Amino acid sequence: MSFLLTYLWGWLAAAWFLGFAMGWISVVSHGRGLSRATLQQALLLAVALLALAAVQAVPGRAGYGLDLALLMLAAYVIGCVPGAWLRGKVVARNLRRSARA
Amino acid sequence: MRRFFQWTHKWWPGLVPLAVLWVAALWSTTAPLERELAARAGQALEGNVLDQTQLGVSGRDLTFAAAAFSREGRQSAVAAIEAVPGIRLVIDESRLVPEARPFVWTVERDVVRVTLGGNAPLPAIRARLVETARASLGEVEIADHMRLARGAPARFDAAASLLIEQVAKLKDARISLSDTAVKLSGMARELGGREAIAAALKGLPPGYSVAANVIQAPPYVFQANKDPVADTVTLTGNVPDDTAKDHIIAAAGRKFFNEKVVDQLRTSIGAPAGFVAAAIPALEALSRVSTGSLVISDREITVTGDALYAAAVTDIRLNLLSHLPKDWRAKTEITVRPAVGPVDATVCQDLLMQLMGKAAIRFESGDATIDRDSAGLLDRVVETAMRCPSAPIDVIGHTDAEGEEPANQLLSERRAQAVVDYLVKAGLPPERFTALGAGSLRPVASNATVEGRAQNRRIEFVVR
Repeated sequence: MSFLLTYLWGWLAAAWFLGFAMGWISVVSHGRGLSRATLQQALLLAVALLALAAVQAVPGRAGYGLDLALLMLAAYVIGCVPGAWLRGKVVARNLRRSARA
Repeated sequence: MRRFFQWTHKWWPGLVPLAVLWVAALWSTTAPLERELAARAGQALEGNVLDQTQLGVSGRDLTFAAAAFSREGRQSAVAAIEAVPGIRLVIDESRLVPEARPFVWTVERDVVRVTLGGNAPLPAIRARLVETARASLGEVEIADHMRLARGAPARFDAAASLLIEQVAKLKDARISLSDTAVKLSGMARELGGREAIAAALKGLPPGYSVAANVIQAPPYVFQANKDPVADTVTLTGNVPDDTAKDHIIAAAGRKFFNEKVVDQLRTSIGAPAGFVAAAIPALEALSRVSTGSLVISDREITVTGDALYAAAVTDIRLNLLSHLPKDWRAKTEITVRPAVGPVDATVCQDLLMQLMGKAAIRFESGDATIDRDSAGLLDRVVETAMRCPSAPIDVIGHTDAEGEEPANQLLSERRAQAVVDYLVKAGLPPERFTALGAGSLRPVASNATVEGRAQNRRIEFVVR
């Protein structure tokens, strides 16, 4: 794992920033999010893929593609969290200033 | 916190550019990653003894194909690859090198090349054997047909190297090593090569043995050529040692009383048993022909030439055959020289005196048996006597003054009679010859010296 993180750090960083940006946007987005059921299904799909990767069930290049996809997805999700959290903080502070004014 | 979870529902649109990013990453990193992992696996395998190693990387999975020389070596190689960071899965397609029973290794030499064949236990040993062959055989072409196999006996490389070094001493060779049993056949390059190889084989590592050694030596050749024009007998070829050489040259000096002995012999080991004992009667046969040659090749003697008279042809052959050591063979290709023209009694007497002036007829000490060294001289006496067929000849024996006179008288008569017998046996009519004994009464030199006594022991011919 450490080898992959070292080898793919640039791509993972890009996925993290993408996630950070998406997290940042998601706070103020007016669009409809995924339904709870869809999110659960997506989560289940991710867990299933993770299990496949863990048991090394997908061979060769496809297996590497799966590993890479899961790592980038993880970096993306990890990036979303601080993005959304920081934007949430900024929005909350602006709302408090507006209320005082 | 609840709001946070609501935000997570809106993170999905980023998955689209993430997928694009994934494709780009996959496209640009897969091939370099595979190359990197293959290089790392190759480095990890350094120090492992393997043959036909092939590494195939697909993604992070590595297919390892190789021939290993032991179970431990195979496990160690797989473990080394598995420990390489980044490799996810090792597909082990390695196998053990087949075991050879018996473990046979060969080296063969023909006119063109030296071929190394059979089994070798390790690539390094195989390379070392080829290198040894190159070093010991110089410019000769080396063909490596060895294949790798397990099951070599201990110290195989030392034994095989020693055997390769022996090939340099052989003109053609087939040497095989079957487990620890060595078999050799072929032809030695030089005389003594066979013996040198037999001595070198004593240096085989403990446990190795010579099951068969049928290396042949080139023929051991000795030659003598009698040239009546130059009055020389030239001895060429091989003799076993300096003692044998001295012995043969001394014998030739006694037998060829009229010719100068030219020594072109060289000493060489590898002579067949009984060489000197066979060479002496062979030289005697040559001494009895007017012109001819003698060839001894291993245990086979060939004498060619012209005998001085007809009866000598059979006598030379029978004498030679009866004096040969066991397992020796002789072939004579002797013809009779055309008879020389007749002369009158006076010339006959002169010719006989000339012959007796060159050498004396020898007898065994204190006995009337003619020494075989005098056969050549006596044949010339026969030939001369045949040139004056009507002249009667007195054969007179003389002794030195050693011993009692009656005994000397008797001995001189018996010796004269022995010479007459020889002449009669050669085909001359017995009535032409009278055997007389003069004892020690008519010395030609002082009896006080060894040389003088030797001159006094003589046979005289008086043609009447």
